[in-house]
Amino acid sequence: MTLEVTITKRLPDFTLDVSLATDNKPLAILGPSGAGKSMLFRCIAGLERPDAGRIVLNDRILFDSRQRIQLPARERRVGMLFQHYALFPHRTVAENILFGLSQRGREEQLKRLAAAIESTHIAGLEHRYPRELSGGEQQRAALARALAIEPEALLLDEPLSALDTHLRSQMEAQLQEVFAGYERPSLLVTHNIEEAYRLGKHLLVLVRGRVAAFGDKEEVFRRPPSLEVARITGCKNFSHARALSPNVVEAVDWGCQLQVAGAIPEALAYVGIRAHHIDFTEASSSAASENNVFPCWLVRSSETPFRITLFLSIHHPPNGLGDYQLQVEVFKEKWQRFRDRPLPWHVRLSPESLLPLAE
Amino acid sequence: MQVRPRYHVRTRPENGRGLRSAVLVLLLFFMAFGIFPSPAAAQQPVSITVSAAISLKDALDELGQNFEKAHPGTSIRFNYGGSGTLQHQIEQGAPVDVFFSAAEKQMDELASEALIDAGTRRDIAANSLVLIVPIDSQAVGNFQDLLKPSVKIVAVGEPASVPAGLYARQTLDHLRLLAPIKSKLVFAKDVRQVLTYVETGNADAGLVYTTDAKISSKVQVVAIAPASSHEPILYPAAVLRASKNMSVAREFLDYAAGREARAVFEKFGFTSPEK
Amino acid sequence: MLPVAALTLIADPIDWSPLWISLATSVTATLVTLVLGVAAAAWRERRGGAGVAVVDGIFLLPLVLPPTVVGFFLLLLFGRQGPLGKVLLRLGTSLVFSWPATVIAAAVISFPLMYLTSLAAIEQVDRHYLQAARTLGASEWRVFREVTLPLAWPGVLAGAILSFARALGEFGATLMIAGNIPGRTATIPIAIYFAVEADDIQRAMVWCAVDVAISLMLLGSLYYWTHAQVPGRARWGRR
Repeated sequence: MTLEVTITKRLPDFTLDVSLATDNKPLAILGPSGAGKSMLFRCIAGLERPDAGRIVLNDRILFDSRQRIQLPARERRVGMLFQHYALFPHRTVAENILFGLSQRGREEQLKRLAAAIESTHIAGLEHRYPRELSGGEQQRAALARALAIEPEALLLDEPLSALDTHLRSQMEAQLQEVFAGYERPSLLVTHNIEEAYRLGKHLLVLVRGRVAAFGDKEEVFRRPPSLEVARITGCKNFSHARALSPNVVEAVDWGCQLQVAGAIPEALAYVGIRAHHIDFTEASSSAASENNVFPCWLVRSSETPFRITLFLSIHHPPNGLGDYQLQVEVFKEKWQRFRDRPLPWHVRLSPESLLPLAE
Repeated sequence: MQVRPRYHVRTRPENGRGLRSAVLVLLLFFMAFGIFPSPAAAQQPVSITVSAAISLKDALDELGQNFEKAHPGTSIRFNYGGSGTLQHQIEQGAPVDVFFSAAEKQMDELASEALIDAGTRRDIAANSLVLIVPIDSQAVGNFQDLLKPSVKIVAVGEPASVPAGLYARQTLDHLRLLAPIKSKLVFAKDVRQVLTYVETGNADAGLVYTTDAKISSKVQVVAIAPASSHEPILYPAAVLRASKNMSVAREFLDYAAGREARAVFEKFGFTSPEK
Repeated sequence: MLPVAALTLIADPIDWSPLWISLATSVTATLVTLVLGVAAAAWRERRGGAGVAVVDGIFLLPLVLPPTVVGFFLLLLFGRQGPLGKVLLRLGTSLVFSWPATVIAAAVISFPLMYLTSLAAIEQVDRHYLQAARTLGASEWRVFREVTLPLAWPGVLAGAILSFARALGEFGATLMIAGNIPGRTATIPIAIYFAVEADDIQRAMVWCAVDVAISLMLLGSLYYWTHAQVPGRARWGRR
């Protein structure tokens, strides 16, 4: 069960140029708004036509520009869950689900309807109209509708972003359940890092129509190939960098030299470190620059319910509110433990956590 | 809920501006209607308006030209239409100096409303009613042929407002054809429209005046309505009491009733009003 | 005024055929424009592209031209000397001065209203519903029939009511190609016109009263359809 997509399409601001292949583990497509994610989906579903390329689903050619094959959407058997559900407002939930099953016999229709309702836990809602349902219920109904046709691939457009926060984990659990039972290619599109990480197994980062990273999600997060990907996957601290030796780089913006574990790419341009990978340590009397330890001063802070982000100036006291080089994220419990210590504090940028990045 | 701010604020200068605009508009209005006396007023040509039944059009146009040539400084504006319509216009106050009707009925009504100068009223021409068909038609040779099923549409004037329609209905009634062909009748708003319907072939036959048939090359006359089948077709004319140019109006009417005019009317197919 | 009119009616019984003719003509014309207008709007909506402006222009022409001019063009087309008229003649019929001509005149005149309203109604249907339907295997015709049309229906219906009102009041074009044939093509507006011409003011007033009554009923139903619809279960669920 595979989906192979290699397409190009000219769009107003950039050209969509994507090549991907996926198996039956969920693929999350992560990217900023306007990166072409929805257009990619529409091309796969057959709702838009690429300029050139090939789309093959489970050995069926859906699109091939050279052979002039363009299968219309209705024949592709690609199920799609739209961002705002697109449930037909003039039909009940059951009628919505049955919409895609019109070619089947009555018995089979009812069988599939029951299966879809059960798997998405919307029993009791089937005779309601969409506007009588809550957001979460609507989404489950839309999911049921997409699954009822037993599609060969499943596309989910921003499945969690329209939901209230507390509903997200519920829906996420639901989707995990669906993915577990669904042995076909499934793709989801999102601009939310967490959603991508939670739901996907593979990750594709799409920026301005181009594939910036593609691979297992752990790998992409652990070793983002470029500044762009690092930023999109949530890294907050960057500095221009120069390689000084196979495992020492000079961080130009931070004004220091750093030990780096792991290989340094040829085209090194930056070095980065994630906000929660920076540790606070005790100052030791031994040489401070060993193992990437530096004194730091607090510039300002920003709180969320359980965490706090500290903006730090390293090496010297800050000259103003904008003079910081690092953002560090810690849990508030930990924060409590050293907040009253006198400045300067010391931070450690562990060599394993540093991300050497190409352009 | 948001409250919309009120933007319209009256200020003093705006008041004055409104008044000035109003005065300007009034000035233009008066100028347009010539209420201010202009030095050239004395030399303006005298103009009279003549409302006339449309069947008189060609003859009256020529008479009008002749009159203007003989009386430099006068101009005649003709207003043609169905006699009923013209009568209503006069009753509603249209500034008409002379009225030529295609039937006594409309003139009688104006007379009873004291709108005409009764002393000037006289009949200036007579006409006859004919049955016409499109020039290439073979289907109809006489009035009785109107009963044929191949004749689907017969055009006549609307009897209540068009004299030619009234005469047509009288003729058809007299010939006992009215009831049988009633469903084939299409009623036009004036006699020239009847002519057009037959010319274009959209009507299979129609009843118009001899004079109308004469000016068209696209119809043929297949029968003449016997004089006894309808009331006499006379064209009364009169000067209106509300005329602002009485003397010129009277002159024109006298001319239209005179011998030279008689010849012009006969040229177009009218006959003399005396029996 | 009205009591006198009533007396007149008793003395000279009014010919009520213009009422039936007007209603029959308007209903038929509205059904015709309903089908044609929606079809044209659906086709145009899918089209897009540069040529559409020209198409729009042609479809909207009867709205912009004086009805008499429209009637004139129809006469050129359907008259005995016109291209379509000649064809009909060979088939043994003529459309001019017939009841179908009143329907054609009314339909052509009211078409732009139906077209515009339907187009707006169809365009405001959310694209995503159509896309969802396609991914669920529906053919384009099924998408139109089961998704677009039901969701656009309130707007389309409003357009139909407007068209009906316009068809009812049609005069210039109707007079041109259907003529004044009492009992066959004389509609209410034609009856009013010729009543005034004949100085039969009472009769004209009666027909005006009838026309106003029908128009008020139409406006009332239009209002009901667009405003008074309560979102009960009948209108896709309670909130």
